[in-house]
Amino acid sequence: METPSPSPTTPRIILVGNPNVGKSVVFNALTGAYTTVSNYPGTSVEVSRGHCDIEGTRYEVLDTPGMYALMPITEEERVAREILLVETPHVVVHVIDARNLERMLPMTLQLVEARLPVLLVVNILDEAERIGMQIDIGLLQEKLGIPVIGAAMARKRGLKEIRAAIAGFDGRRHATFAYASDLERDILKIAATLHGEYALDRRAVVLLLMQKDEELLALVKRTEGDGFATVEAAVKEVAFERRVDLHLRISLERKRVCKGILEGVISQHAGARTPFSERLSGWTMNPWSGFPLLLLVLYLGIYQFVGHFGAGTLVDLLEGHLFEGRLNPWAISLSEHFIPWYWLRELITGEYGVFTLGVRYAVAIILPIVGTFFLAFSVIEDTGYFPRLAMLVDRIFKQIGLNGRAVIPIVLGFGCDTMATMVTRTLETVRERLIATVLLALAIPCSAQLGVILALLSGVPGALLVWSLCVAAIFLVIGFLAAKVTPGELPMFYMEIPPLRLPQPRNVLVKTLTRMQWYFMEIFPLFIFASVLLWAGKLSGVLNTLIALLRPAMLALGLPPDTAAVFVLGFFRRDFGAAGLYDMQANGILSPEQLTVAAVTLTLFVPCIAQFLMMKKERGWPVSLAIFAFVTALAFGSGWLLNQVLLFSGVLS
Amino acid sequence: MICGYCGREIPDRTPEPENRCGACPGGCRKVHCPHCGYANPALPGFLQKLVRSKTDRDKE
Repeated sequence: METPSPSPTTPRIILVGNPNVGKSVVFNALTGAYTTVSNYPGTSVEVSRGHCDIEGTRYEVLDTPGMYALMPITEEERVAREILLVETPHVVVHVIDARNLERMLPMTLQLVEARLPVLLVVNILDEAERIGMQIDIGLLQEKLGIPVIGAAMARKRGLKEIRAAIAGFDGRRHATFAYASDLERDILKIAATLHGEYALDRRAVVLLLMQKDEELLALVKRTEGDGFATVEAAVKEVAFERRVDLHLRISLERKRVCKGILEGVISQHAGARTPFSERLSGWTMNPWSGFPLLLLVLYLGIYQFVGHFGAGTLVDLLEGHLFEGRLNPWAISLSEHFIPWYWLRELITGEYGVFTLGVRYAVAIILPIVGTFFLAFSVIEDTGYFPRLAMLVDRIFKQIGLNGRAVIPIVLGFGCDTMATMVTRTLETVRERLIATVLLALAIPCSAQLGVILALLSGVPGALLVWSLCVAAIFLVIGFLAAKVTPGELPMFYMEIPPLRLPQPRNVLVKTLTRMQWYFMEIFPLFIFASVLLWAGKLSGVLNTLIALLRPAMLALGLPPDTAAVFVLGFFRRDFGAAGLYDMQANGILSPEQLTVAAVTLTLFVPCIAQFLMMKKERGWPVSLAIFAFVTALAFGSGWLLNQVLLFSGVLS
Repeated sequence: MICGYCGREIPDRTPEPENRCGACPGGCRKVHCPHCGYANPALPGFLQKLVRSKTDRDKE
């Protein structure tokens, strides 16, 4: 059965809201079975349309894609805003989650500011009540100046009230929310330069202009014509005078207004305790409890699980028993029997053979370590811990010229520094990007390198502590000095904290497998290629020349000359270098002091070639070469100093 | 797809060429969240089926 097409005068109901708040449930409850889903013209975004009859009037109902704010970032949000502006709604039903009122109300404010005919549906009220929340819907309605309905649409609770509110909707009432006086003056100043007609209220247009909404800027340019230069000048003048990120300023003002509106609206049932997840969330961000919790996470997740289980038990099993005990002797014996040429035997099963080195490193050393690391990382990620970590370290990061936002590239750096270097572009200022790039190149080991180093050092009492203290101290000292020598302002940090949740085994499994698959596909050919290079270097004598060149540096660090090969490989790929160190340790070539010095120097040593190329792409040749030279000098300098300190103090003897 | 960092829903599409770092041999394997910039792993083909079937069941 086909849905009858609406007449041009059919009033429209448009459903908007964040993803996963129950918009589609409201849509289905209003429209019933007969709906159509089609791509919005010119896009690949799906929009559902249906019809409903309320008190004798037929309405067209549109379910828009999820949006977080009126200022679009994704294509879905762009379509949702376009629908609001173009489809002339009779009612805009804004559906929000009762459990997250404070996070979602700023968008309601934006819709009201835009003079759209808003009906607010506070959905999932039953779940909110179950955790002891009481929401005074009447008071919220009074404060917002728009109709507000409490609902639990999964149980059809509130549907009758929504239908009644739509039927009796009076779109002429509009509340205005006052911001700080300086912001209000700026709004008036820019609004006075606007003369065209807009689908949104002028105040909303000004706010979006101040937030640098590019699409709206283009619209204003078209609408104002010659007068656009005046508008643009007014916006620039305000931005220059205030010298703050206006987008952030407006977001914070809206938060403040929402907080005021919600005063007295939300309360907890007498005797109802704040849910454990909320209390735990608070503890993770409080410095007194947050840092011990962070240490606990690192100890259990990284040290015990990755360092002991992954790099100890699993690597022993695969490397020690499977490869060294069975596969390698078998492959060597086969090649000795069937391959008469020395060079070919060396290529396949020699010291740097494709099988005996490349496959063994990739499968038996790196894969179990990164596998356990990715599993631990995915569990931590899925709980929603990372944004809390950002809030926790914000104060410390400010001392090194960064803020909590830099947690994203730094955390990603523990996965892969190359990709993290690219993500530094999300930081607000050039100064922050530069400091973060230096710190990533210097003191953030990638997942495989970290795992191998943890495995190396966990067997030597005290070595891991010395390594951790050295790397952390260098991270903080260099960050602090970089912040002192690079001029620039420190931007504010603000982010919405998503709910803390139990990790979903399925999500964790999918993310871990995804990361492992991609990682393995990436490293396997490279490890094979690296072993071929080493083989060629050995046969041609180039490797010995390189080792001879680096010999004085190795001796200065107190390391055996053969360690030079590890550093050469470390530049090719950080994890390959670390795996080489693991091999040397397993063969008893390094003493505890040498092991610690080599691990610290290799961690700080120049970024791998891929990271270096990414630095060049993001920061340009001069800066990248300067970082390269600085990091190399600092790594060897720190290694030398550490060697002297360890020899003098005899700490690890 | 839900961003592993900010918890917001993001389109399950690999980034535009200008936003790829080019570090992954064989093509881009990250979905950068447009809201916070976090790099989420792009699902390989063999896992997409599994995830889609679960999402479809959830929608029903």
